[in-house]
Amino acid sequence: MSRERPPVLVTEALCKGCGRCIEACPKKAMTLGSDINQTSGLTPIHIDYNLCNSCGLCVVACPEPYGLGAEVYDLEDPRHLYGEQARSKRPANVAPRKIPLPKVEPMVLKGNYASAIGAILAGCRHVYGYPITPSTEGAELMAKLLPKLDGVFLQACSEVATVNHMYGCAAAGLPVMTFTSGPGFSLMLEGISYFIGAELPGVFVDVMRPGPGLGYIGPEQSDIKLACRGLGHGNTHAIVLAPTSPQEMLDLTIEAFTLTYKYRNPVVIAADGYLGQITGRVTLPDHLIEPGLPDWAVWGDAAHKSNLISSIFQDWSELEKHNEKICAKYRVMEEHEQRSTGYQLDGATTLVVACNTPARMAKAAVERLRREGRPVGLFQPLTLWPFPIKALLTELVHANRIVVVEASDGQLEDELRLALHHARGPDVDIRHLRHMGGILPTDQEIYQIARSCTEVAQ
Amino acid sequence: MSQSHETKAADKKPGAAFFDHFDRHAHGKGLKGGTTHYCPGCGHGLAHKFLAEALVELGVEDRTVMISPVGCAVFLFYYFDTGNTQAAHGRAPAVALGHKLANPNSIVVSYQGDGDLAAIGLAEIMHAAQLGIPISVIFINNAIYGMTGGQMAPTTLPGQWSATTPEGRGPMQGQPMHVSEVIAKLDGASYVERCALYDQRERKRCKAAIKKALQLQVEGRGFGFVEILAECPTHWHMTSLESELHVKNVMAKEYPLGLIKDVTREPWFSPAKPTFDVERVLDVLETERDTVERFCQKFPEHLDPLDVSIKLAGSGGDGAQTAAMLVTRTAICEGYDSTHIPSYGPESRGGTSYADVHIAKSEVLSPAAPHPHVLVAFNAPSLDKFAGDVRPGGMVIYDASVIAKAPKVAEGVRVHAVPMSAIAQRLGNVVVKSVVALGALQQAAQVLDERSFLGELRRSLSHKAGMIPVNEEAFKAGVQAVRTPA
Ligand code: SF4
Ligand code: SF4
Ligand code: SF4
Repeated sequence: MSRERPPVLVTEALCKGCGRCIEACPKKAMTLGSDINQTSGLTPIHIDYNLCNSCGLCVVACPEPYGLGAEVYDLEDPRHLYGEQARSKRPANVAPRKIPLPKVEPMVLKGNYASAIGAILAGCRHVYGYPITPSTEGAELMAKLLPKLDGVFLQACSEVATVNHMYGCAAAGLPVMTFTSGPGFSLMLEGISYFIGAELPGVFVDVMRPGPGLGYIGPEQSDIKLACRGLGHGNTHAIVLAPTSPQEMLDLTIEAFTLTYKYRNPVVIAADGYLGQITGRVTLPDHLIEPGLPDWAVWGDAAHKSNLISSIFQDWSELEKHNEKICAKYRVMEEHEQRSTGYQLDGATTLVVACNTPARMAKAAVERLRREGRPVGLFQPLTLWPFPIKALLTELVHANRIVVVEASDGQLEDELRLALHHARGPDVDIRHLRHMGGILPTDQEIYQIARSCTEVAQ
Repeated sequence: MSQSHETKAADKKPGAAFFDHFDRHAHGKGLKGGTTHYCPGCGHGLAHKFLAEALVELGVEDRTVMISPVGCAVFLFYYFDTGNTQAAHGRAPAVALGHKLANPNSIVVSYQGDGDLAAIGLAEIMHAAQLGIPISVIFINNAIYGMTGGQMAPTTLPGQWSATTPEGRGPMQGQPMHVSEVIAKLDGASYVERCALYDQRERKRCKAAIKKALQLQVEGRGFGFVEILAECPTHWHMTSLESELHVKNVMAKEYPLGLIKDVTREPWFSPAKPTFDVERVLDVLETERDTVERFCQKFPEHLDPLDVSIKLAGSGGDGAQTAAMLVTRTAICEGYDSTHIPSYGPESRGGTSYADVHIAKSEVLSPAAPHPHVLVAFNAPSLDKFAGDVRPGGMVIYDASVIAKAPKVAEGVRVHAVPMSAIAQRLGNVVVKSVVALGALQQAAQVLDERSFLGELRRSLSHKAGMIPVNEEAFKAGVQAVRTPA
């Protein structure tokens, strides 16, 4: 025979005794063994070294990485004995960089466009989406602008694909977002649950429209329940931001990227159909952001090679720990990320609670009531989850009536009641004004119901 | 982008891109640290091995990202010493594209079983293949669901037992799906081959196929797809050797082995790196760098002390939205707050199209205009619908060229009949009708200032400079028509 070949050796404890190597051996040197290996409980293969010529063909046929080979896998090696090794050092965490922006004239933008531009200024260059009214302009603008910035807009084959393209981009460590609306948002929920489980950042702009089913394309606020309580399977939550104007669409989108990285948890921007379509004045911030690269990213280079993005835990107690870790983040969000704003809250005995476009109508009504000397104020949650209960409780020191104004069947009111209950808030008289189907509560209606509250009070 | 290898093949010891020790497999304790979770004789182990070897031979393991599916291979990341992302059931190719487009220099492998790829994930794999972006897909076809315990897969053979075809796959359960042939039909796919693992020749071919699919990606040429007929002794209720023979004698008859498609493109995939350059961003966003001159002396308090609302209504092509947008832009340039909300959706395709505009001294509160100060109507139905809503003291301006009947309005509402269409026609461009309307609006209501409108017209037409004169003329004609009615 020609040159020396290393002998082929079986690591008996790692051989599963499948016998695939038998067929591969031209010398018929291999046979199924007969002695059960006491470590593995399986019966390893037997090699007759009188017949074996070390051709190595059996190794090619063996499905086990370390079952058969030129060396015996040393189970006693300390590197192998004690479980997890300190793996190659963690890569550096490259922080995002703020780059100053010169002052420019205010822009005149549709809500969807404002959000898209906010994302661009927040450093997002990867956007995936699927057309759905009334959110589509966001995707359209991204399709136009991102190639000019050497970014990526990809129209996915569905919302299911969208959220998973996003998942890959987020896993690679880059900012990513989408625009969608009710039916599309429903389809993304499984993926959002994976985002949460795998602790990935991503921004979802849901320009809410009426359901159920196909519903239609007007403005509604009927995904509040989904965004606050129903982000797919598992113990899921995400910060839900509720803008009121194109300016807030931009500002809160930028904020959403900060929050999503801060917590490694998705952020939902819940807008309504009107807000997607309305055009208004938008002032740009004084800087833009160039994203960094987080140390946990599966970027695809040597430095990030030992990273893993996954939400599966085979060990039940580990999975419980993982859930506890995620839930602990929720508690921090509840503590630190409640946001709200208000109008004419001083000394108000009646609070109108509203968000998104209805908050603008409510502001108009409050303005009118105050001119009439009636103590009515507007309380406007900017985060729907976590509900800004701390700020609301402060107002409930002087207010004893709440009118929740919304374009849904009490989805905002449920959040308020739940938060109030958990916080053991005072007993307040809660009334509501609701519309659905694309109809928004008008300032006149809000005026009337809030006014009747003040009359009862007097 | 250069396809620079971060690790040169020559520097690497031969071997496989496996961890020395499987720390992630039950924390690497005991035997688990050295062995896979696969059943004895399972085809996955071999597919892993050939893939792991090919990555090292190509010298790309450091920049590889493996996407693990849902199925028996969900724990692929226990073994591959590469970047790893675990995907939702069926979505591995979508996740793979997310990775590839984030870092085009990464080598992304989507590894999927037959339930994952051919059932729940069919849409994702078809679109990834048709897109043709260079990623590599390894498709393990063992004609059964392994992880969930032996249920029917789209690739289950006719008559084959499974937990959900207890009498064998019959006509009511459909025919086996020939995925590779389907993928090969898609223009985006460059390379498709079907392999097996049952003997030395097939194993060699399988390894070569995997390597070729990866090579296509490394060179930025195209989408590679390798189907591997793999053994599942557990759910086939066979020994390993019987399983190998089953693939050879039965499965390979249904799913013929061999090259199915190979139309390698020239290297083409080399996206540039995204830019964050301030100047470029501001240019792309079309921001206005110079301060815009203001002309309005004071807010149009003669209409309302704080907030003026205007409704513009017509049919789809009348330009109501364009005019509304110009009003909003002009008002904002003048330092006011302003909003424009269109009627949107299918209505905007031909039916009535209307726009609500607000101009507010400090802040627009309610953006709808159910009772506008001014109505601009381009056709009779719109005029009929909205004229009655105009508030006392307000005004209605309508296109007298196409509307014969004067509207019924509340007391104290002024009405201006302006032959907008006729004027536009005289100017030789019907489209400028909406600009005629703007001139009329300005003259009738004195909302802002003529000069501010003209300035905004010029700015918004800056990339169609040839259109500026006719638009200016249209605006002035609108002004004139109200100043001296015919
Ligand atoms: S050496 Fe490998 S192929 Fe042979 S029986 Fe053991 S595990 Fe199976
Ligand atoms: S090395 Fe060759 S001859 Fe020896 S057991 Fe393996 S296949 Fe048979
Ligand atoms: S169930 Fe089948 S596919 Fe899954 S590991 Fe076992 S043999 Fe392999």
